Amino acid sequence: MPSLPELGIYFSLLLFIIGLFGVMLRKNLIFMMLSVEIMLNAANLAFISASSMTHTMDGQVIMFFVMAVAACEAGVGLALIISLYRAKSSVEIDDLRILRG
Amino acid sequence: MITQISFLIMGVLAVFLSVLMITRKWPVTAAMILIIVMMLLAGMYGLLGAHFSAVSQIIVYAGAIMVVFVFVIMLLNLPPAELRYGRLTISELVLISLGFIMALFLGTKVGQGYLIANLSSNTLVNARPPYYPDAMNENVKNVSALMFTDYLWAFELISFLILVAIIGAIVIAKKAKVSDAKSS
Repeated sequence: MPSLPELGIYFSLLLFIIGLFGVMLRKNLIFMMLSVEIMLNAANLAFISASSMTHTMDGQVIMFFVMAVAACEAGVGLALIISLYRAKSSVEIDDLRILRG
Repeated sequence: MITQISFLIMGVLAVFLSVLMITRKWPVTAAMILIIVMMLLAGMYGLLGAHFSAVSQIIVYAGAIMVVFVFVIMLLNLPPAELRYGRLTISELVLISLGFIMALFLGTKVGQGYLIANLSSNTLVNARPPYYPDAMNENVKNVSALMFTDYLWAFELISFLILVAIIGAIVIAKKAKVSDAKSS
């Protein structure tokens, strides 16, 4: 049986791929942002696993920074979704083609 | 052995629930499922010895970020999303498989040896306080000591980033025209 940090790396790989498929397959902005949260969490799990693997604390500090960046991302992204919904009354990306070339 | 089994159960549940999440129709259901995934991940962090990260995962992610998500979904009163899936291109599939191979490399013994050789042989790393998976007090103390010495500059920059994000969110989400607000 693989060690605990090694299992953590494998699970973070699976979670990251699920989040990536969620971003690329769904056409709804809310679902895309939730999938980005899954990807950030997978990266955090990989950081914690590497931190536990190398017996250093750096991974945990970086995980704290990633969490702060995710909070900023959620705030600004949800504000953007609210203003887009006010303009177009939809959060489907097929309806939001204002910036097309 | 019991820690490994509970870690496996939590991980499999987290993966299963996140697959369930990206295939839901209702956004509120997906957000609620994601809260459970966050809590399972917090348990995994605790088993890995990162107690500070486990607690802040529950407080910040499940308690703050997801509440904002649920609040916005309920504010917009969104209809169920149709499950119209897009299509993946060849280049996207190639990128995904490359990432898969890289992460698999990091998970194997070779990758572990690479990580340990490149991180632990550094004298700066060895000069730091050691890692104690069993002592909770030591974990918080060591993380905060590292955060306020080596990563102090990054910590201050993060606080500035949060300030900018707050101002940006207010500017983006407020009413676009001042005349509408006056007339109403």
